[in-house]
Amino acid sequence: MTSYMTNLAFYVPELIVVGAMILLLFIYAFSGGSSKKLNTILSTVAAFILVFVGYLQFGFLQAPIQEIFSRSVVIDQFGTILKMVMVVGTLGVIYMAMVSQEIVEDLKFEFIILVLGVLVGAMLLVSATSMITIYVGLETISIISYALSALKKNDDLSAEAGLKYVLYGGFASGVMLFGMSHIYGVLGTLFVYDFPAQLASLTFDNMLVLVPAFLMFFVGLGYKISAVPFHMWTPDVYEGSPVPVTTFFAIVPKVAALGALYRLSTVLIGQETILATTWITLIGIVGALTMTVGNIAAIGQRSVKRMLAYSSISHAGFIILATLVVDQIGSRSLVFYAIVYLFMTLVAFMITGAVSDKYGNDYFDRFRGLILRYPLMAISMVIIMLSLAGIPPLAGFVAKFNILAAIIKEGYYTLAVIAGLNSVISLYYYMKIVRLMVLKEAESTEDIANFSISVQSVVIFLTIPVVFLGIFWETILAFANGAQIFIK
Amino acid sequence: MSNLLNWIVWLPVLGILGMLVIPKSNETAIKYWAVITTAVTLILTLILWNNFDPTIADMQPNFMVKIPWIAQFNINYTLGVDGISLPMILLTALLFFLCTLASWNIPKFIKAYFALLLLLEASVLGVFLALDFFLFYVFWEVMLIPMFFLIGIWGGENREYAAIKFFLFTFLGSILMLVGMIALYYVSGQGANSFDILSLSGGHFRDLTVTMFGHDLPFNILFFIFLFIGFAIKVPVFPFHTWLPHAHVQAPTAVSVILAGVLLKMGTYGFLRIAFPIFPAASIYFADAIAWLGLVNIIYGALCAMAQTDVKKLIAYSSISHMGFVMLGLAAMTVQGMNGAVLQMFNHGTSTAMLFLLIGILYERSHHRWIIRPDGSRGFGGLYTQLPKYTIIFIIAMFASMGLPGLSGFISEALIFIGIYERFTTITVLAVFGLLLGAAYLLWMFKRMFFGEVVEDNKQYTDVNAREIFYMLPLVAAVMIFGVYPAPILNIMRASVGKLVMMLNTF
Repeated sequence: MTSYMTNLAFYVPELIVVGAMILLLFIYAFSGGSSKKLNTILSTVAAFILVFVGYLQFGFLQAPIQEIFSRSVVIDQFGTILKMVMVVGTLGVIYMAMVSQEIVEDLKFEFIILVLGVLVGAMLLVSATSMITIYVGLETISIISYALSALKKNDDLSAEAGLKYVLYGGFASGVMLFGMSHIYGVLGTLFVYDFPAQLASLTFDNMLVLVPAFLMFFVGLGYKISAVPFHMWTPDVYEGSPVPVTTFFAIVPKVAALGALYRLSTVLIGQETILATTWITLIGIVGALTMTVGNIAAIGQRSVKRMLAYSSISHAGFIILATLVVDQIGSRSLVFYAIVYLFMTLVAFMITGAVSDKYGNDYFDRFRGLILRYPLMAISMVIIMLSLAGIPPLAGFVAKFNILAAIIKEGYYTLAVIAGLNSVISLYYYMKIVRLMVLKEAESTEDIANFSISVQSVVIFLTIPVVFLGIFWETILAFANGAQIFIK
Repeated sequence: MSNLLNWIVWLPVLGILGMLVIPKSNETAIKYWAVITTAVTLILTLILWNNFDPTIADMQPNFMVKIPWIAQFNINYTLGVDGISLPMILLTALLFFLCTLASWNIPKFIKAYFALLLLLEASVLGVFLALDFFLFYVFWEVMLIPMFFLIGIWGGENREYAAIKFFLFTFLGSILMLVGMIALYYVSGQGANSFDILSLSGGHFRDLTVTMFGHDLPFNILFFIFLFIGFAIKVPVFPFHTWLPHAHVQAPTAVSVILAGVLLKMGTYGFLRIAFPIFPAASIYFADAIAWLGLVNIIYGALCAMAQTDVKKLIAYSSISHMGFVMLGLAAMTVQGMNGAVLQMFNHGTSTAMLFLLIGILYERSHHRWIIRPDGSRGFGGLYTQLPKYTIIFIIAMFASMGLPGLSGFISEALIFIGIYERFTTITVLAVFGLLLGAAYLLWMFKRMFFGEVVEDNKQYTDVNAREIFYMLPLVAAVMIFGVYPAPILNIMRASVGKLVMMLNTF
């Protein structure tokens, strides 16, 4: 057993983020009110800290896998890469918040502190290996997210979003906790990596008791992933929240929960038990439903943000399928998808944010004729939309290809066909935006969006990898290949 | 010489990069640059033709390009040419060259138009040259993007609907192809999985089964169907054809030409290069069905064509009918039938391109395409007195399309009939009626447009100008020369087609 000091060494990145939160809170408290200048300083400090945290993660990629805190947390490459994704996502979101008109200056500092808080929870969740840490990670994300979604205090929609999130969230974590207590009661252990050993000695009857218990466990994670049928809150929360918050919800908690789900799958799948079969069936059905419902609901949306919210549900469904494959092919396809999803989501929401900032809404018609005003932005958006739909040679295609390859390797042909058909559906609504941007001319001569030079350059900077990784994905695949998950 | 195929595929892309430097306002320079790029590509393909060794049935070893791309998936960037792909390459390069010339009067966004056209050329050439299934898929899909925008931005009134329908239909087919492709990858070899089309070919997958929808299904039957749908949508085989009339009618002239002349052939090329060689047993198993579908295409396409009052739509439906002959030739799995099919792919490419170009020329003068306007009055009439030169070219194109002896269509259709007669006698007899119908709708169209009283607003039309004659001439020459002397094309394909037929007949 390693000493606690060594344990802490592996937990430094998370501690730094916590420290940053406290530091920022203090700076704010003693600065006497919010101002643009202060916000700029705060966000810059936060950004530097996040870059440093991301840099620290690179060190863990080389280090051997380490169990810390009495085996409650494991630092493995799988978790580390997902943490990098989340850190970069947070960084991008903080930038979006800074340039956003939607979040008033007074609230920007709160936003930064809150997202850092969620980030800590999310980082804990992807590396949690005991039911306690999983629960703590999930709740940290949830509680702070409630505040985040109600960030626009005076806005009815935002308040409604917050309330809905609280109600659904409280319910989901209650169910999950109930399931966990059953699992503990039957298996006598909190540690997920002890499950296989305990399960092996169970009688069939006891195993049956566990099936609903694990379903309840899944509810908590499925809620965060916004997997169907636990997705009800997503569109409202996404619509009610400011664009940067929506972006954040679409990336960080989702990736964290998917990481945790994958970890759980690795311990459950692989045995010839009723539990494993149920789990596989469950994941397959939920994944297929999530994709399909998300896509079909996205078709009818008027608001681009809401459309992207539903589309992010369907992407989560695609990633859920990767959790059926518990070998290296599966983990790398999940990690690959998460990385690509990060870039695509950031750009899509960034452009939507800039458009909605101008007139305060993000209806499809706002995008009319974007190509004539901001050709580079429109082309970036076209690239992102095609990539989200999975058209080669863009990164979104490669990400989908990897997951399809993983599930086809395991013989889930039906799921692969469903996933493929979903891409076709999604193409329809993604092309709706493309059509408006490129094929239509704007109704008026007024400017239609708020694109500062800095937003434009960030968008282009984030779009380049989407094109580049679609063609030269060997290196990033090798990187994702390194995403070893701890196996006991 | 070993990099020739690379140059052929990537030269149009280099052309796009070069075009980016030209300022948007200098439209003439952009047009000439596009013409030069496509002309050089055409010259490169002619060099390829000149150095092609028709005695080799396999891929030409001198031209093979193989570069590792994604080593972890064993994906390679593999290009190669044989007797089946060379005619398609020649056709593609020729039609794109002519299409840049035919796009002289594009009304808006000249630079974007020609850039997309060049991107389309690169991806189509890539499809015909790719020998790695993954690479093939990438080119196949990339092609959709320029097509979508070309139809959607420069098309007719209903262009957006047509563009999206085209995109969705083709993407649906591609997705099934993608699933089939990955499934093939995992069964292709123990530990040595690959997407290499050549090593997948030969019918290795006869005894495998897959579990899908809870049933054990034979692997080759199931995935042949997947690939079949993917390619059939492109051909288009009835009942997957509904996107075609919209896309054709709405697309600008040059894009219609490319669509009918080249893109439809990608579907049948897919059968020849991928579906048949990889699943020979399943192909034999489904041969009857393919032949019947081909017959439906012929008759249905011809009947639809007969009912049209929009001349472009009429030609679009005639394409469906003509592609039915290709399907028949493929289903025959005999040397004559297969040769006839490949030759028909080439000949239909030239004759239908002529017709679409001619309609485009007419449209630039009339701004409508009604044979009979919706209100019942005649759209065109007595054109032969107004446009004598135009009429002569039109007659040649029409008779070539109809299959009149002495022009190119006859030879390929005759070969197809000879090839299928023994195996599908009933279908042959019925398909001959398709020829009759073809003659009927074309001649009827011709009568209504070119004879009779001159319609009032037809009187101001001017005859074809020098540029138009210039880009029609190569096609006129191709149609007439290959009509009496098809040997240049038949010779290059003979060995490769023969090898494919022989392989199919061992199953």
